[in-house]
Amino acid sequence: MEELDLLKKAWQSDNQSFEQVSEKEIYKMIHKNSSSSVKWILIISVLEFLLWVTISIAFNTDEYIKSMHVENFMIYLKILNYINYAVILWFLYSFYTNYIKISTTTSTKKLMQDILRTRKTVQNYVWYNLGMMFVSMILGFIMAFYCSPKLELIKDKIAHDENYGTIIKIVCLLSFFTIIFLVLFWLFYKLLYGFLLRRLNNNYKELKKIDL
Amino acid sequence: MSETLEQSFVKQLKQNQNIVHKICRLYTTDSDAHNDLFQEITIQLWKAFPKFRGESKFSTWAYRVALNTAITLYRKNKRSVSTVSYEAQQHFFVQDEYNLEEEERIKLMYQAVQQLNDIEKALVFMYLEDKDYTEIAETLGISEVNARVKMNRIKGKLIKILNP
Repeated sequence: MEELDLLKKAWQSDNQSFEQVSEKEIYKMIHKNSSSSVKWILIISVLEFLLWVTISIAFNTDEYIKSMHVENFMIYLKILNYINYAVILWFLYSFYTNYIKISTTTSTKKLMQDILRTRKTVQNYVWYNLGMMFVSMILGFIMAFYCSPKLELIKDKIAHDENYGTIIKIVCLLSFFTIIFLVLFWLFYKLLYGFLLRRLNNNYKELKKIDL
Repeated sequence: MSETLEQSFVKQLKQNQNIVHKICRLYTTDSDAHNDLFQEITIQLWKAFPKFRGESKFSTWAYRVALNTAITLYRKNKRSVSTVSYEAQQHFFVQDEYNLEEEERIKLMYQAVQQLNDIEKALVFMYLEDKDYTEIAETLGISEVNARVKMNRIKGKLIKILNP
């Protein structure tokens, strides 16, 4: 086929018509996968949020709370719950904007800033969640202690105790469980987001090298 | 260790980037899509690079990965090929050494190639790069006989497109 061979000749002699990509640009391209880490952060946080919502719907604690006769407490719990949802949704929104920013950034400097911002958001998110968990556990203990009918026996014992032995034991036990619980969650977050953050961090370091 | 790996990758890709550019030109129709595909191929090459041990030439290896990327991406997007703007893709063949008639024939031929499907384009690409059938077969993962048969069919198809 004559035409095809003509094309072949033209094809092969044609090496100047492409805008050449520099080494720096290639570096940038292979570090563009920051955006995929950030995408995963977004996906995982959404899934995690859905998990919590499902759990709170599946294990309806309303019955238990009703049995304690603390209706006046309920309103505060509800408010706390809504605030919590609002804050988490705000975090999800930040993750989303971070993702959009990172995947559209073209300058290395900007990309580095965005990576730092994403890191900060994730850290804040984890600390917020841990803090919220701590607060709700303490609240739960206090409520159970004052209001649950099942704990009358213990309260009785405390009242009859002369040198605070029982109450110290209970506080120690509860603190112990709280710490274990929080550490477990901390590990869970560390595993979940730590991996992605490490990838972002490595990317950041590489980008820094190119930028110098 | 990973630093030198990265440096050697970047250096080799920079030297061989015309391969990728040519694939991009064949599979895309505007410069945005061209750049997107270039970036995608770069990422895929980089991901596959640790497995490239220098048994073959960088360019041979790059042909395979880049064509695979182009084909998969092309399938995902299913862009319609018929809406290629005539001007956008042909400025590059305008070279002094051809007379007007030859130039026109080259352009028409290139338009015909653009109408082929993704696999056929890959074969034509290898052909235009002046690879022999052994290398074409190896790169595309088909037998040599199969590559010959396919290429002949493609030539037939191109003739039909050129002389409807």
